[in-house]
Amino acid sequence: MKRKDLIIKLIGEMSSYILDENPMKMVISLHQEEDGLHLAIIDDAKHSDADLEKLDKTLNSRKRPELAAYYGAMTGHDLLGSSRLDLLGWQIKHSDVVRMGEGVKIDLWLGGDRFDSRQFNIPEKKE
Amino acid sequence: MMPTSNRMLQIILLLFLSALILAGFLSDGIRETIQGVVELQIHPARLISDFIDIAGIGAAFVNAALVGLTGLLLVRFSGIGLSGPTFAAILTMTGFGLFGKTPLNILPIIAGVYLSARLVGKRMKDYLIIALFGTALGPLVSALAWEFSLPLLPAFLAGITGGIITGFFLPSIAVSMLHLHQGYNLYNMGLSCGFFGLFAAAVIRGFGQFKAMPSHWFVESSLLLELFVPVFSVLLISAGLITGGKQAIKDLKEIQSIPGRLPSDFVDMASLSGTLINIGLVGLFGSAYIFIIGASFNGPVIGGLFTIMGFAAFGTHLKNSWPVVAGVITASLLTGNPLNSPGPILAVLFSTTLAPISGEFGRIIGFTAGFIHLLMVMQTGSWHGGMNLYNNGFAGGLTAALIISVIQWYKSNRTEM
Repeated sequence: MKRKDLIIKLIGEMSSYILDENPMKMVISLHQEEDGLHLAIIDDAKHSDADLEKLDKTLNSRKRPELAAYYGAMTGHDLLGSSRLDLLGWQIKHSDVVRMGEGVKIDLWLGGDRFDSRQFNIPEKKE
Repeated sequence: MMPTSNRMLQIILLLFLSALILAGFLSDGIRETIQGVVELQIHPARLISDFIDIAGIGAAFVNAALVGLTGLLLVRFSGIGLSGPTFAAILTMTGFGLFGKTPLNILPIIAGVYLSARLVGKRMKDYLIIALFGTALGPLVSALAWEFSLPLLPAFLAGITGGIITGFFLPSIAVSMLHLHQGYNLYNMGLSCGFFGLFAAAVIRGFGQFKAMPSHWFVESSLLLELFVPVFSVLLISAGLITGGKQAIKDLKEIQSIPGRLPSDFVDMASLSGTLINIGLVGLFGSAYIFIIGASFNGPVIGGLFTIMGFAAFGTHLKNSWPVVAGVITASLLTGNPLNSPGPILAVLFSTTLAPISGEFGRIIGFTAGFIHLLMVMQTGSWHGGMNLYNNGFAGGLTAALIISVIQWYKSNRTEM
């Protein structure tokens, strides 16, 4: 998938998820490099701890190449019904979900095969 | 998914395929079974070709196991672990090995999907699901090879070439078809293969005509055929209960709350033990329905049961299925189609392809989907000349596309309060 298409679809799916909660504010920031990019989404809707834990788990689920290349085509495209972040999670390198006030900040890191995570200072997983 | 799930699914599938082979050889003897398997490889396979009726129980069982084993080896060599979708694909392939798929007619399609993947710089594992389910067009390969009275070598080449071309086109079609129904038709490759089949049938009809082929539907009763699925189902439920205990029951309840829209891998979303119980329950209820209406347990029926059991790991459960099934039964009765005739029997089993519509939008819409599905599926088989084995997936995809487009239009256009 072309990088531009992928970015548009990821933003679409994330926006769908965030807008389901009717936030007053949603900020999307994209920082693109040659072999990877960082997408940050911030909102001010209320999220429970359980919601955030589920979100984090979904976005960082194990990679499923057999599903990502096929069903992943629906990401950010077929938006009828509840949003499906698992489709998105299979296509990214890493994500972080942190509470910001009442809202949430979601950082997504993407990259091609030559992706070098050190460029993006991906936080190390807590032990 | 824990690695143990992959290992356990491998063991289950190997035991299942071994049981089919053993039952096959015990049923008809080694010599007759092998002769039958060879006969099936060169027999036309368009719908409805019940391999039990054509070559006997033994040959059909062994052929089905070989088809399933081909799928299992492909998964293994792709480096993908077994889970809901791959389990569903292998059980479906095995089921259709009882009425249409043979190792010979599926391999060229898989090769075509591989070439397609390589063209766009992807690996086989990326298109694995498409390759496995894309074998629904096996009868197209058989038709090109064996239905035009060609000498052996040209026949063989025609079949292989046609299969490779078919497989080559499937990934592009499959992704586009997904957008039509947005993941609410579980058998998306049925819709994709049906779509391709329309063009293939047009080409074949344009240059000649299909060979007249009688429908094969085994009607005798056999204890082996009647007991195979129920026993397999009970064993799966037992395995789920033993490995998961009370947690498995909780996971089963969780599965019943999942809408089932593609891709819903119950092994990942709940647990393997809960999924095994779900698979067993779907198999038992499906078998009970066949007993109640007094239908024969033949190749297509057992194949249908294997398929819905496979998809009980990937989108189907009793709660999201029953409204759709009720719709099919009601439509059958209102249109005067006997419930124990081939079309309605298969429609009831395979209509569960629309279970996610019921799971997401409720019972009434699910019932409506089932009702429309029966009316559609009774027509669609002839459109592609019976070459797409997942005819219910084709009709289900069209039905889902209609319903989803209306729901989407309504939700997109109504004024928000």
